[in-house]
Amino acid sequence: MRFLRHFALCAPLLLLAGCSTVDFALFHPVGRVAEAEYHYTLLLVGVMMIVILPTFLLMVIFPLRYRKSRNATYTPNWSHSTVIEILAWGVPFAITAVLIHYSFVGVYAVNPYNPDALDGSPGSALPPIKVDVITTDWQWFFIYPDQHIATIDDLVVPVGRRVDLRLTSTSVMNGFYIPRVAPMVDAMPGMRTKDSFEVDQPGTFEGFSTDFSGAGFSWMQFSTRVVSQAEFDAWTKTVQANPKTLPYATFTQLAHPTVNFGAKPAYFSAPDPELFNKVVMDAMNGVVYPVPDSLTKSVSSNEGKALVPAPASP
Amino acid sequence: MQVDLQDPWSPLFGRLTLDSIPYDNPIIVGTFLGAATIGLIVVAAVLYYKKLPYLWREWLTTVDHKKIGVMYIILGLVMLFRGFVDGLMMRTQQVMAVGPDSPGVLGAQHGFLPPFHFDQVYSAHGTIMLIFAATPIMAGLGNIIVPLQIGARDMAYPYLNAVSLWLTTAGAALIMLSLFVGEFSNAAWVGLMPLAELPYNPGVGVDYWMWAIQLSSLGTTFNAINIIATIVKMRAPGMTWFRMPVFTWVNLSTSIIGLTAFPVLGVALSLLTADRYLGTDFFTVGHGGNFMLYIDLFWIWGHPEVYFLILPPFGIFSEIVPTFSEKPLFGYLTMVAASFAIAGIGWSVWAHHFFTMGMGPDLNGYFSSATMLVGIPTGVKIFNWLFTMYRGRITFTTPMLWAVMGIFLLLFGGFTGMMLSAPAINYTVHDSVFVIAHFHCMVLVVAVGAFAAVAYWWPKVFGFKLDERNGQFFFWTFTLASIVVFVPMFGLGLEGETRRLDYVFNPQWRPLLIAEEVGIVLYCISVFYFLKMIYVSLRDRVPAGDDAWGTGRTLEWMTHTPVPFYNFAVTPQINALDELAWRRENGLDKVKPQTFVPIHMPSNTAVPVIIGAMAMALGFGMIWRIWWMAGAALLAIVVAVIARSFDKNQGYILTAEEIAKFESKTELASMIAEQPKRTPLDHVEAH
Ligand code: HEM
Ligand SMILES: [Cu+2]
Repeated sequence: MRFLRHFALCAPLLLLAGCSTVDFALFHPVGRVAEAEYHYTLLLVGVMMIVILPTFLLMVIFPLRYRKSRNATYTPNWSHSTVIEILAWGVPFAITAVLIHYSFVGVYAVNPYNPDALDGSPGSALPPIKVDVITTDWQWFFIYPDQHIATIDDLVVPVGRRVDLRLTSTSVMNGFYIPRVAPMVDAMPGMRTKDSFEVDQPGTFEGFSTDFSGAGFSWMQFSTRVVSQAEFDAWTKTVQANPKTLPYATFTQLAHPTVNFGAKPAYFSAPDPELFNKVVMDAMNGVVYPVPDSLTKSVSSNEGKALVPAPASP
Repeated sequence: MQVDLQDPWSPLFGRLTLDSIPYDNPIIVGTFLGAATIGLIVVAAVLYYKKLPYLWREWLTTVDHKKIGVMYIILGLVMLFRGFVDGLMMRTQQVMAVGPDSPGVLGAQHGFLPPFHFDQVYSAHGTIMLIFAATPIMAGLGNIIVPLQIGARDMAYPYLNAVSLWLTTAGAALIMLSLFVGEFSNAAWVGLMPLAELPYNPGVGVDYWMWAIQLSSLGTTFNAINIIATIVKMRAPGMTWFRMPVFTWVNLSTSIIGLTAFPVLGVALSLLTADRYLGTDFFTVGHGGNFMLYIDLFWIWGHPEVYFLILPPFGIFSEIVPTFSEKPLFGYLTMVAASFAIAGIGWSVWAHHFFTMGMGPDLNGYFSSATMLVGIPTGVKIFNWLFTMYRGRITFTTPMLWAVMGIFLLLFGGFTGMMLSAPAINYTVHDSVFVIAHFHCMVLVVAVGAFAAVAYWWPKVFGFKLDERNGQFFFWTFTLASIVVFVPMFGLGLEGETRRLDYVFNPQWRPLLIAEEVGIVLYCISVFYFLKMIYVSLRDRVPAGDDAWGTGRTLEWMTHTPVPFYNFAVTPQINALDELAWRRENGLDKVKPQTFVPIHMPSNTAVPVIIGAMAMALGFGMIWRIWWMAGAALLAIVVAVIARSFDKNQGYILTAEEIAKFESKTELASMIAEQPKRTPLDHVEAH
């Protein structure tokens, strides 16, 4: 028992040591918005530590010091002290006031619809790159209305440009998330949400869905490739030349429940210019892409047969 | 009126066919065989020892608040175990299914659970742990202790109390049934919308989830009404508001939450029922429906619900810390104020569960601020417990160890909760396992509070203490396990791991997943010590005194151990806050009443258990759309309720001589003893 006790008490230290060898994605933000998120995380945690750390110490000291076997001072009837009670309310109150202040500043700084953090950024001088994000069961469609191209599960943006996203879904709710890059925002059927970010270094960043959406949810990843402006322009040209186009009828075919194992990308030229609005309007008018029970039950045995549209629904 | 379904339907069996029984799944078949064996052994033992009449008379039809409380806790512990096995399966699946090359067994491509099963397992885990484990255990403790702490004979409405228990049990039974007949929801314990609507969930899973919660939440609402009425009307003479122990106070605040919040859930689920059964469009995406409305309604209940769960443990710690510090609670008044502040603020923070749903910065800022305000009273509570220990004389028995651990967990849970309540942070970790780690810290406070309370009040209820040595083993293995599971989980949250993954696509997460698996194995060891603790205690049965710990302060320690079924031979006169401590100081704690007056007691009734069984049939009929069954069950409930209102049984009178006999030999009146049959009164004057 002694051993067990000491082991239990030391375990957090061991684990912390173990954790410190792990590379925490959220501690390596890229771009102004993600950096602002990281900044406010550190700031708010720092402010909280002013009260958390001393409390933690008291929580260790008091139980140890006032054990019966130690014969420390014992005041059997003491149960009130106005000073301590004022402090007990006052200190948390003061800390909370500071936290609320920074929380308000922070929510504007990273506001997905129009982040203050992007004010005066290099990209804000240029027109933003617009991307419409449409989630289906269970893939990501990225539509570039200005470039007239579309992709599945591959988001490519130029470095140093502000990216403005509009998001919606054909079926259920999904969470749009690129941990190191952009604030999480939900993509919802029949509705339009927004998100913005700007990345100042090239690289590839993993993105995925965070809001459970059914059987194929665990395979719902996409890559975010941040490339130079020249590479972006070249890439756009290649995709524009792709013979596969994306009229609305094709889109509705592809929107049927499909698990894209390994997030294999696909590219389209000339997407329907009204695609995003049509998806929103259709959802509001009651168009659904039902998930057949069979797909739910046997999704794992379909692996390898990517991008197989399920039979059209009635 | 009925909506179209994908699969066939027959008038006799509804949607139920032989295919609904998953006899081809080895895990479920194994579970079924195990459960069936245990069930058969229990039934055989009851029959062999001829205990059926005893079970029926003394337990199934009882209205005694202590027995009802014990049954609530047993139900909660059984469900806690079931929920734990779900957790074990999820952790094992995630550690097995990492990366595209990970192997799969039992028909799964990766790991051993295909998505279809994994999604049910995590949905069942959340639903069970919050609604069928934590809630019944806390309700049971309130039931047992509150009347004792205020010097009452029973709850205000003993019959309603039994109805609440059996409704909750009916809900729990439905969830257990979903394992063997059909399937459970895959739309999470929150009922993700529109995922829980018919197009995306055509099976019976969501219906199981919906009806199980609906029935049990009805039970919880009734229980809240009962506790409020008991506290307001049934206090012993002299028990003024500000002489009430803090545990009673938190039960009042928590029951106010229960009474006001659960109906919101009832409404949300009823509208969803209409969507799924009648084809209405309340929460659908199209046709003018709005699924955000469901999400709002759910969290308008859901957030108060989490405080509904956490307040009773606050009360438990407020009883245990003074007892084992041998000092009065520091800052009694602020403790009471803080409880009500938490309950009050808890009503205005619900949107912090969906900061990412596109609300503007002002709205998000408001909900962030409101949430952070909860940190203030929570902090006050921690300080008050600390200053109760300050200059005390602390003995670390198991209840005290659990209480101290609970306070540590509360600090971490509160700290991470405050982080989550800042949208700037929330946008990076919402729906990640960081949230899971946060609320497990908090829900572990509830679990730890339950273990503390069970160890603390066990001798009062059963007359002997729990085995201390095994209790300490249980405590330390459980603590170690919690650390090893949840510290890495915070780490994974900071790596961005999202929740509810049946397949882990990022191999970098593997090391910490392995650490969590080690923790789960430690939890298994702690379960072993828990069972051993119960076994050793039942075997040894070292008798405990009336004041089992020697330093009890409140009224429940004044009556006999084990508590006789009439609680107090003579209703006590209350003189102070911490009555027993006051009597001890004035040398009155050994004084026993000499003369007795007859006591009017409620008679047992079979109506509640019948209502419970019928409610379960109603739920089952609705789930499988067997309309005749649902209709007949509903009719039976209505008939039972009406029939009972004509019943002239007005309880019975316990005579002074009988009380004198019981008082001299308390085992006779204890909970496990069999009481003689009584002739009921058919008329009493109001009193
Ligand atoms: C100081 C007190 C607390 C604060 C500031 C707080 C804050 C939060 C916030 C902001 C979230 C949303 C996280 C997200 O989804 O992004 C959350 C989730 C949650 N909290 Fe707390 N919380 C507190 C106390 C509690 C307590 C006492 C409990 C339970 C006993 C609890 C249980 C939960 C649960 C179950 C969830 C997640 C529900 C889900 O999405 O499945 N919290 N908390
Ligand atoms: Cu909440």
